[in-house]
This record gives sequence, C-alpha cells and structure tokens, in this order.
Amino acid sequence: MNIRNFCIVAHIDHGKSTLADRMLQLTGAISDREMRAQLLDGMDLERERGITIKASAVSVTYKRPLAQAGEKKKGGATEEYLFNLIDTPGHVDFHYEVSRALAACEGALLVVDATQGVQAQTVANAYLAVETGLELIPVINKVDLPSARPEDVAMEIEQVLGLPAEDCIYCSAKTGKGIEELLEAICDRLPGPSGDPTVKTQAMIFDSKYDDYRGVVVYFRLFNGMLAVGNKVRMMGTGRTYVATELGKFTPKMTPTKQPFSAGEVGYLVASIKTLDDVNIGDTITLDLDPADEPLPGYQQPQQMVFCDFYPAGDTQFDELRDAIDRLHLNDASFTYAPQSSDALGFGFRCGFLGMLHMEIVQERIEREGRTQVIQTAPTVTYEVAMTGGRTMQITNPADLPDVSNIVEVREPIVSVEIITQTESIGDLMKLCESRRGIYKKQQYLSDNRQILEYELPLAEIIYDFYDKLKSITRGYGTMDYTFKGFRADNLVKMDILVNGQKVDALSVIVHRAKAEHRGRTLLVRLKKEIDRHLFEIPLQAAIGGKIIARETIKSVGKNVTAKCYGGDVSRKRKLLEKQKEGKKRMKRVGTVDIPQEAFMAVLSVEE
Amino acid sequence: MTHVIPLDQLAPDATRPASDSSVSQATDPLTTHSPATIAALYAHIPFCFHKCHYCDFYSLVEPANSPHDRQKQFTHRLTSELHWRAAQTDLRPRTLFIGGGTPTLLRPPLWESLLDTLHQTRITQNVQEFTVEANPETVTPNLMTLLATAGVNRVSIGAQSFDPHLLHALERWHDPANVAHAVHTVRTAGISNINLDLIFAIPGQTLDTLHADLHAALALEPDHISFYNLTYEPNTPMTARLKNGAITPVPEHLEQQMYEYLLDELEAAGYEHYEVSNWAKPSRRCKHNLSYWTNDNWLGVGPAAASHVNGHRWKNAPHLGRYLASQDQPPTADHEHLPTARSVGEQLMLRLRLIDGVPHTWLDDHLPHDDPRHGAITRFTSAELLERTDTHLRLTRRGLFVADALIQELL
Repeated sequence: MNIRNFCIVAHIDHGKSTLADRMLQLTGAISDREMRAQLLDGMDLERERGITIKASAVSVTYKRPLAQAGEKKKGGATEEYLFNLIDTPGHVDFHYEVSRALAACEGALLVVDATQGVQAQTVANAYLAVETGLELIPVINKVDLPSARPEDVAMEIEQVLGLPAEDCIYCSAKTGKGIEELLEAICDRLPGPSGDPTVKTQAMIFDSKYDDYRGVVVYFRLFNGMLAVGNKVRMMGTGRTYVATELGKFTPKMTPTKQPFSAGEVGYLVASIKTLDDVNIGDTITLDLDPADEPLPGYQQPQQMVFCDFYPAGDTQFDELRDAIDRLHLNDASFTYAPQSSDALGFGFRCGFLGMLHMEIVQERIEREGRTQVIQTAPTVTYEVAMTGGRTMQITNPADLPDVSNIVEVREPIVSVEIITQTESIGDLMKLCESRRGIYKKQQYLSDNRQILEYELPLAEIIYDFYDKLKSITRGYGTMDYTFKGFRADNLVKMDILVNGQKVDALSVIVHRAKAEHRGRTLLVRLKKEIDRHLFEIPLQAAIGGKIIARETIKSVGKNVTAKCYGGDVSRKRKLLEKQKEGKKRMKRVGTVDIPQEAFMAVLSVEE
Repeated sequence: MTHVIPLDQLAPDATRPASDSSVSQATDPLTTHSPATIAALYAHIPFCFHKCHYCDFYSLVEPANSPHDRQKQFTHRLTSELHWRAAQTDLRPRTLFIGGGTPTLLRPPLWESLLDTLHQTRITQNVQEFTVEANPETVTPNLMTLLATAGVNRVSIGAQSFDPHLLHALERWHDPANVAHAVHTVRTAGISNINLDLIFAIPGQTLDTLHADLHAALALEPDHISFYNLTYEPNTPMTARLKNGAITPVPEHLEQQMYEYLLDELEAAGYEHYEVSNWAKPSRRCKHNLSYWTNDNWLGVGPAAASHVNGHRWKNAPHLGRYLASQDQPPTADHEHLPTARSVGEQLMLRLRLIDGVPHTWLDDHLPHDDPRHGAITRFTSAELLERTDTHLRLTRRGLFVADALIQELL
C-alpha cells in the first residue's frame, strides 16, 4: 500500500479547511451532499471563528489513474494511495501541538492565499515544517479571485522560504481548479513513510479527544513496529499501561479496523483511558511486553504561558463554575486550573493557557458550554523570581510577588516577534515595539513593498492589545507570530490598586519601575471610566509597596430620580430599573463597590 | 396570542405568567361583571395641535381641515368603551382624570357627549375629584363652564415655564401670559382646585430664571404644583438633539441645586411636598394620582391608556386606527402580572416616591422576614438615605435625590 502522511499549513482564512474538504470530496471520502463548509472544524466555535482549535486526521483512499497524462478516462486502471491528512491548528498559541502534528507527517502542503500573499503564520509554520524535515508542496489557493496575483505570491514564497516559484501549484479549493494536479503532486513529490514494522513498536500521540462513549480517543502515528487490538500498550512518558480495545481510522467518521496497524500508518486508539490528563501529546506508545528502548524525540510537557483567574459572576455559583471547568478540561487538558481565593473576588480558579487565543476560547467555552457567567481577571505571564538565599520561584499571579527585601531579581519571559507588513507601516510598528520595551533584531524585504520585522519583546507587553494595535497600524494587513526565547531580568515591581481604600488583589500588576507612575495614572483613569458612580465617593489609588504613586476620585451620584411615574409609566420604569440591577449582578462587589468585568481588563490597556 | 383571564383568578394573589408583552384582542381581567372595585378612572384623549419635543405620551396631530373627523369618531368610540365597561362592572370610581394629549382640544359638543355618557353610566356618581388637563391656550370660558356644570372640580394646566426662551427650548408655543388668563377663566367658571405643571432643568435655565418661573407660578396661587425635572425620554426629538450635541443639558450639580431650591421655596410658600415631583396646599393632594402610588385598582380608557386591576397591568394599544376599528374591548398590549416578590418590589418603587413613605404595617404584611431586601433597607438606613418615622419607612432628603439607585436594589 502506498501511504502519504501529510498536513496542511496555512495562515488563517487562506483556505486550509476548504481545501481539505475539497480533497475529501474528490477522493470520494464524503459525498457531494455531505460536503459542507469546513467539515474538519467540528466545533461551533471553530466554524464561527474560522479557525482550527483541535487537530484532526482523515484517512482517504485515492485511486490514482495509471494512464498517461492526456489519456485519462473513466474506468481505466488505477493504483491506490492511502492519504492520511492531518489538520493542524494554525495559531501560534498551539505551537507545540502543531509541531507534534507535523512530526507525524512526511510532507506538508503550504497553502498561501493568492490575494494575500505570505503571512507571518505561514512563515512560522513553514519553518517549523522544514525544521521537522518535511517535504513541502507550495500551493497558491484562491487563484479564481479577480485580485489574485499568483506569480507575485510564488516569488514571495521563493524569496522567504526558498521554495522554487515554479514548484507552486495554482489552485482554487472553491472551484476545484488544480485539485487533481495537487493530488498527483502528493503522490509524486511527497515521500512515503519509512519505518520498520519488524522492530519494537513506537507510535507518537499527536492529539487526543474525549468521547462520551469510548473515553479518551488517542490520535497516533505509528513509526515502527505493529499495533493491534488486545495489545497491552505503555505510554512511555507517563509509564501508564492500557489494553487497546479499539483501533481505527477516521474516514472522516471513526471507523474501527480489525487488521493490526503497521509502521507508517495513522489512526486512533481506544483503551479505556478515563481522562485526557492521562494522555500527553508527543508521548510515545509502545508495547508493554516488548517496549522500545527509547521514546520518540521531541516530547514536551504543555507550556502554559498566560494565566488569569476565573470567578463566578451573576447567578453562577462556585460549584457550577467548578463543574463547567472540570467538564471542559475533559476535552482540553492543555489548560491548567487550581482553586484560587482572592480577598476581593472570593473563590475562583487560577488558570493557565497556551496563549491569549487559547484563554479566550476556554473562557467562551466555559460560559457557553457550561452555561455559566465568569469574571475574568487580566491575564499575566509567568515571572521567575530569584530570591535572596539562592532560591528561585515561579509566580503566575502578581499578588504572589514576595516582599521586595526578599527579591534579588525578577525575570520575565521574552519572545521573538516576527511581523510581516507593508513597508509604509514599518515606522509606526517600530514605534509601537520601542514603546513596549522591544529590542530591534532585524528587518528583511519580502517583496518590493512588504517586509519582515523582527523584535524581541517581553511577553507581558504583547499579551493584550499589541495585536489590535498592530492590526490598526497596518490597516488589517499586518500579521505576527512569536516564539519563546527565555527569561530575562528587568526592573520589575508590583503595583497595587486600592478601590475605596481596599486593595483589590485581582487588579495588582507587575510593571517596569520606569513606567509605573504613568501606567498607574492611566490605569486609574480607565478604572474611573469603567466603574459607575455610587451613592458615595470612591477614591482610587495606585501604590508601590505602600507608597501612593497616583490617585483619582469617582464622584458620588448627585441626582438620579425618575421625575414622572404615573399609571402608564409603571411597567416601563420598573423594567428599566430591573435591567440596571441585572447589569450590576454581572459585576463583582468589592467591599461596597460594584466593579464591572471591563475594569479588571483595564489593567492591560496602557495607552491613553 | 389570546388569553382571557377568568374572574375567579382575579384575587390579588393569583399567580399568572410573569410578563407578557404581546398585543392581544381579548386580554382583560374585567371581561364580565367583576368584584374588583375601581378607585380611579383615566380617559386618554390622544389629540394635540402640536407635538412637544420632550413629550413621549401617545398623541396625534390632526390636520386642521382633515376630511376625516377623527375627533368625532374617537369620542363616539370612547363613549362606547365607557358604556361597555359600565355594563361590565360596577364602575363608580372616587376619582376621574381626563388627560392626553390635549383634552381641551376636543370641541365642546364632543365634550358634552363624553360628559353625558359619564353621567348616564353613573360613573360620576361617587366621584370626589374630577380632573381635566388643559393647555393654557385652549382654556375658554365656554368650555370651562361646560366642564364645571358637569362636575369637573379640578383643572391641571400645562404651564411648563413662564419664560419665552425656555418655552421655546421645549417647543411650546403658548404666550406665558395665557397661563394667568387660563387660571382666571377656570376660577371664574367656578372650578377652584387648580394644578400647574412646570418643568425645571430646561436647557439654558439658570437658578435665576427658575426663581422667576417659580414666583410667576406662586403669584397665581395654584392649589397644587407638579414641578418636573426635564426628562430626556427615548425616541423624542429632544433626546435626539441631546445625543447629537445640539442641546447642552443642565449640568447635574445645577439640577441638584434647582431641586434643593424648589424643596425649600415651595415649603416656605405653604405647599406640602408629598411626592417626588408634587406639592399641594393642605388637603389638595391629587387623589387620582395617589391611586397610582398606593396600588389601587384603576382603569384606563382610550388608546394607550393603562390599567391596573388586582395586580394585572395592561394598556390599550397605542393606535387610534385600531382603537376606532374595535368594538367593546379595544386591542390591548403589554399585559403583565408579576409574581409576588417582584410585585412587592414594584410597590416599593411606587410607594417610596411618596414623601410619607411606606407604612411599617404594609412592610410587615408584604415583606417576608427572610427577604434579602431587609438587608438593603438596613444598609440604606444606616447610610441615611432611608429613615424610619413612627409609622413609616421613607426616603431622607438626600435619599430623595438618588431614589432610583436605591429603589433598584429593592426591586
């Protein structure tokens, strides 16, 4: 059997999922009737946002016509190819997941939109694919659009990624143009899997999902040896063992198979695994009776980069929030959570995420799927704190920063940011990066009017509105990607916020000392806007170690009384007041002050 | 959607769906002879010769020479609604109030027909207070004599302001001098109980012009004064102009000072403050409006008129055409019957508007001991926004200024 294991890497909206769907249709995996937009993105949230959150895999048989080009006709002799298409999440938050999905393949289709050209995400994922040793087929999609400029885009691909322009395949996933040529290229240009079915079993887990009936479903790529139902398998990373009760392929439905899997194949494994926590992406599956000497390389623990608290809001009780988080965690083990109690906000959870998008998605799913309302605190990064006495601690919550006298230095995560943009925006983007404590690295022309700009920036400086700013400066054309570089010490201090004289721990931030006063002032001005006037005056203060560095006052309500309330007004006035009361319920009461969700996020918006 | 509520479910504690804002042809708790006692009857006359730019009441401006005499059709339909109601229930309210719109815009023969109906149906039999709203420029000796003869004993005059500039800002067109004429005409006709409606915090108004307005009003020695803080109601031209910046509203601190000033001056002039925006000479409080704030049963007739009977609220649909086309029961809208806890909140909202406040006995009867609102009441009492007298729980002077923020917590 000829096997081709490949994935598609692309920037968001460049047509990855549509292309995958079109290929499924042409290979007969799904009928025309079943063809619906983005079949692989099964989650509502994925379809709404046009993104892939979970990886998925599809195995299809391609009947390749044997006749020479030009003589193809129906009913002619064919040769069968098994295509294992692994769809990967494209977003930077899921870097590690992408790297494991890539590692499960021998080749990748690099899809670029013929109207948009190469984007930051394309570059990042293409480099990752090359580093993983994958063969790349550059595909220029959407060539049917009037504004398509496939030749220019082919040149960009050559310029940045070093793939010859003439190797590009022009296609339109929408009309089907060029898809057959692409299928042929997959057979011709991508290598089949190497690997030895006769040696000890090594299979890599590249994703997993939770199924209500089967428990955990493990997506694997078998590199060496064999795997069959009834085998006792061992996860080499965790050391846990299970008995394989079902093996199968996604066609795209889960389809059990009886014959054993052999080196080179892709499929799923069911083995009475209760929770996703027991399965780590990148871990190696081997046979318990005849284990491999070493696991496959590249395994890492998931790295949570961004942290925030969730607290119950509105009618939601703590128990309901806990249930919602527990349930979501069954489906997404890549976020962490631990009970947290805040003086200001009561009982909630401190959660860690792979990145900002991941955080947003988790929050939305907890609210939507768990039917809860949450107050989310401003996200922060992990800090490394070197203590006197030589100890180093990691803190993920500014409120946990120890007393200054015990600190030698505070280190923050630094990322390398690549931005692709029109040349005209470069100046403003540099200003933005400089204002965020960025260190200039390099600048490179992509084409006549597009450039790659590289900066090193503290992660804390880009987690909230950096991307929005970038989009507005570049009028939507700029794209960015980042990779984690390491921790670096800087003059970082904790700034506390006091509302009505009471410290609100959830509003504490770690800031650069030189920027603290300015940051404190702008923060208080924002808070003043977000917090409604109350029946009493509310002082707002920013403090570093007990020293007040900025203050503002929210005046009390002066006059607020309905002038007329006669027969016809009663219901309307009551409903209006009830609605206002309902709005307050979504807020958090700290002491006697109602603080809305927006105020907790205001911490991050540092610009005037 | 249609629902007829049987009368046996009309006990005050009947549990009905919380709210239903659908328009219905047959929503009416008073479908046949009802045990409910109606304390107050309101009739809505939906005509104006000009639509004031701050007003959100339902009214229509009919062209002067309209070929369709809708005033006549309307009066005919209104009298038929009154006949239908009177046949349906023992309708002998203590108070009658004819408002609008501009009721005095109705031609005298139509008034005669309306007043005849009220007498024929014996609706007026037990009436103690019978109010008609009037615009200063529509008060004529003829009409006033007609009204007085028919038993009208109170006239409410929409003065709004005595300052031509401020009247202009409100898009009111009467000559301020007309107000004094109107008061005189009403008194001459034998109606002694007069209310003046006034507005403060009009764009451009200062404490000085407010002082002038107040003293122009006091000089006419009205028995009752309603002095309203200008409200920017949604969907009025005035609010639209506020939103696009064409109007500079009076700043909040000045509104505060103006209200303080009125509270002091009106009391000094011998008027008792008895509701947020209402002041009266002793024994001249508006009995009809008190029914709204003490949760009496009251019935509205005419398009857009609201009713409240044993906890059911609804209104006639605000549509003259559909009103005219209907028979017996007019089309209705916004039917509502609140569950007990919310109904208590609504009553607190209304009763706390009264300066006397809520009787302790009422609270004992209606607010269960474990009701979370006790906590809010305690909090507001210690913050000196509410206070307890021997008999009542009431707003303090400071509480009066921020009543909405307080009431919100008690809903």
